[in-house]
Amino acid sequence: MFESVIGRKRTGCVTAPLPFGDLPAPFRGAPAIGPEFSGGAAAEICARVCETRAIDPVSRTVDLGRCIFCGLCEEACRGKGIRFSSDPHLPCGTKEHLILGATPPPLPKADRTLASLLGGSLHLREVSAGGCNGCDLEVQATGNPVFDLQRFGIDFVASPRHADGLLVTGPVTRNMREALIKTYEAVAEPRLVIAIGACAISGGIFRGSYAVEDGVGEVIPVDLYIPGCPPHPSTILYGILDFFGRYPGRKPSRGGSLHGAGGEEESA
Amino acid sequence: MSCVHAFDLSAHPPRPEEDLRSFLREQTAGGDRLLVFFAEEPSPGRILLHAVSGGSGPGRCVHACAEASPRSFRTFTDVCPGTHWFEREIYDMFGIVPEGHPESNPLRFHEGWPKGFFPLRGAGPASEQRRGYRFLRIRGEGIHEVAVGPVHAGIIEPGHFRFSCAGETIQNLEIRLGYQHKGTESLLRGKPGMRQVLLSESISGDTAVGHSNACARLLERIAGTPAGFWAETCRSAALEIERIANHCGDLGGLSTDIGYLFGAAHFARLRGTALNLLMRLSGSRFGRGLNRVGGIGPRVPGIDPGALSAELRALLAEIEKAGEILLDAPSVVSRMEGTGRLLPHTAETLQVVGVAGRASGRDIDARRDFAPPRFAERPPKVVVAAEGDVLARARVRYEEMRSSCAWLSAALASPGAPDETSPSRPGPPSAPGGRALFVSIEEGWRGEIVHAAIVEAGGDIARYKVVDPSFRNWPGLAFAVRRNVISDFPLCNKSFNLSYSGADL
Repeated sequence: MFESVIGRKRTGCVTAPLPFGDLPAPFRGAPAIGPEFSGGAAAEICARVCETRAIDPVSRTVDLGRCIFCGLCEEACRGKGIRFSSDPHLPCGTKEHLILGATPPPLPKADRTLASLLGGSLHLREVSAGGCNGCDLEVQATGNPVFDLQRFGIDFVASPRHADGLLVTGPVTRNMREALIKTYEAVAEPRLVIAIGACAISGGIFRGSYAVEDGVGEVIPVDLYIPGCPPHPSTILYGILDFFGRYPGRKPSRGGSLHGAGGEEESA
Repeated sequence: MSCVHAFDLSAHPPRPEEDLRSFLREQTAGGDRLLVFFAEEPSPGRILLHAVSGGSGPGRCVHACAEASPRSFRTFTDVCPGTHWFEREIYDMFGIVPEGHPESNPLRFHEGWPKGFFPLRGAGPASEQRRGYRFLRIRGEGIHEVAVGPVHAGIIEPGHFRFSCAGETIQNLEIRLGYQHKGTESLLRGKPGMRQVLLSESISGDTAVGHSNACARLLERIAGTPAGFWAETCRSAALEIERIANHCGDLGGLSTDIGYLFGAAHFARLRGTALNLLMRLSGSRFGRGLNRVGGIGPRVPGIDPGALSAELRALLAEIEKAGEILLDAPSVVSRMEGTGRLLPHTAETLQVVGVAGRASGRDIDARRDFAPPRFAERPPKVVVAAEGDVLARARVRYEEMRSSCAWLSAALASPGAPDETSPSRPGPPSAPGGRALFVSIEEGWRGEIVHAAIVEAGGDIARYKVVDPSFRNWPGLAFAVRRNVISDFPLCNKSFNLSYSGADL
């Protein structure tokens, strides 16, 4: 017993303060798009290697709701069109807010009723609806001593009856469709639905398969999308806290230019 | 390289079904283990069954193929019980009935799917309508059922557990999966390239490195562009760090399930430290984006093997400190000892692999038996225990982390030189003459991963079969929990920690 007390003392406090800093390279966080992408040949080059069709070479946009952050586009254009920064603050919101290169509508915030009711204490029920478990593990990691989401009054509960909302991962398999709907209906109103990761937003790499529904939004209404494959725990925390207007400091890159947009120069 | 094998299918015509039976019987008797068993439909209405086994000698890997009727075949479970779930899978995906199979329930398709829908079967007439699911009923005084899932209490994947209990004691556990079925194998068909590698990273998110290593090597063998020494060093490093991260996570999870908060907090943190090392190697905490066909992503060569070695040493020191406290605590040992015992005989019959297999006396490890590139020089120490209980599975994990660190430190001492060429554009696949079967084996942190691909003469992948170790081990969990109290189920389950996504594909 004394050993464990000493061990605890020696480790000290490991919890990361807000706002989160950039992660060490070569982490692939918020991508920045450059002039070669907006006006040059890079959009076409990037689109050709993108396996999830996240890149539209006609409108010259990148849909982070489809992006799995594999980095193939950056390699193909040699970083001239798209470059991944190590900033974990990805744009979150509705599906439109996840599109880089387009003019974004104003960022959604929780409406005032929802914010006043749930903003201070939020209990979520997690439903894995066909993901690969990567997103589930990162959601789980938000509860570890480093990210410690309980310090913000957010927690995960075992029953949808005890929950203020759902946090859903995965593309929603046909086999999970009914269970997801039932879980959603078991949550009392007003209820919040957060979809986490490329699969939950668009079907991700599984989009178009006979066995999936191509995203949570096809099955139940979604209030907040948090992109990534999987999103880093700090991205998840940022997405939720910012939705309630509780995240201090930095705002996400909007993909305007390669210079200064991603906050690459800031230290951790 | 004996972790990837190629078999020329045009040179060896399929044999009759009975030959496959004697093949499986001889392989099992000779000490080989079944690596993969699957069906394919090379032309409409024509069904072939493929079995690959090996492991009894260094790099040994043999293949047999039989012609089956498009309606049914006689089950092979009597000569090789390891085919059990594979045959259920063949029924689900192709609609071919394994006659005499001990379990007729569908593995993947639930109510609500069209009864005649068999996704990997061509347009020809399938055998019959899919059967409904019937749970095994245990009868007797005081027997009651407990149903759990698909949505579980924790932040984990969906699956359904049906317990039949007498009082607190579990008499039978029936595991119903399929909730995570995403049609992965149908998406893996087609032109070989990065699509398969990216999909393989999402077969089971916690095993992105294990699966993508296996997939990339398989595609490299097809294309004839093997990865360089440095790339293989990075792959092995990522594989071992993935193992350490997940084993830490599991020791933390076991601590949580017995209410031992010291272990829970420390191992959750140490898992994060290991994941962050993986991020420094690949740009993602799960090693995504590491593998390309022909090598590794160009962001990786920045890694400094010396610095990585030093960080590993520091991590190992912390793991040893926390691990010794955990595994020496009497309250911990008394909860784990004798709980969830999987007897060696059962583990061998079911062909349980990986950590769970080794904790039940199975001396198998693909890193030694099939020697992927960097492991051929010097295989790691294989950790085996005989007890088969939760404690044995915890100890095997702990010792494997130490063995991994020792192996990796030695491997990083001679890492090879980073090559400048970007491997992301492989050449056109070199057609191996006719139809060929490629098999790639890798020891993921959970156990043996097998990828098999049948490549047409034109170079396209006609059938891609994935075996995640979870698929082999779920039946083992059902046996391990028998006669345990139901409140120990979470502990038993965590000690196996199987992937639902990897099993459901």
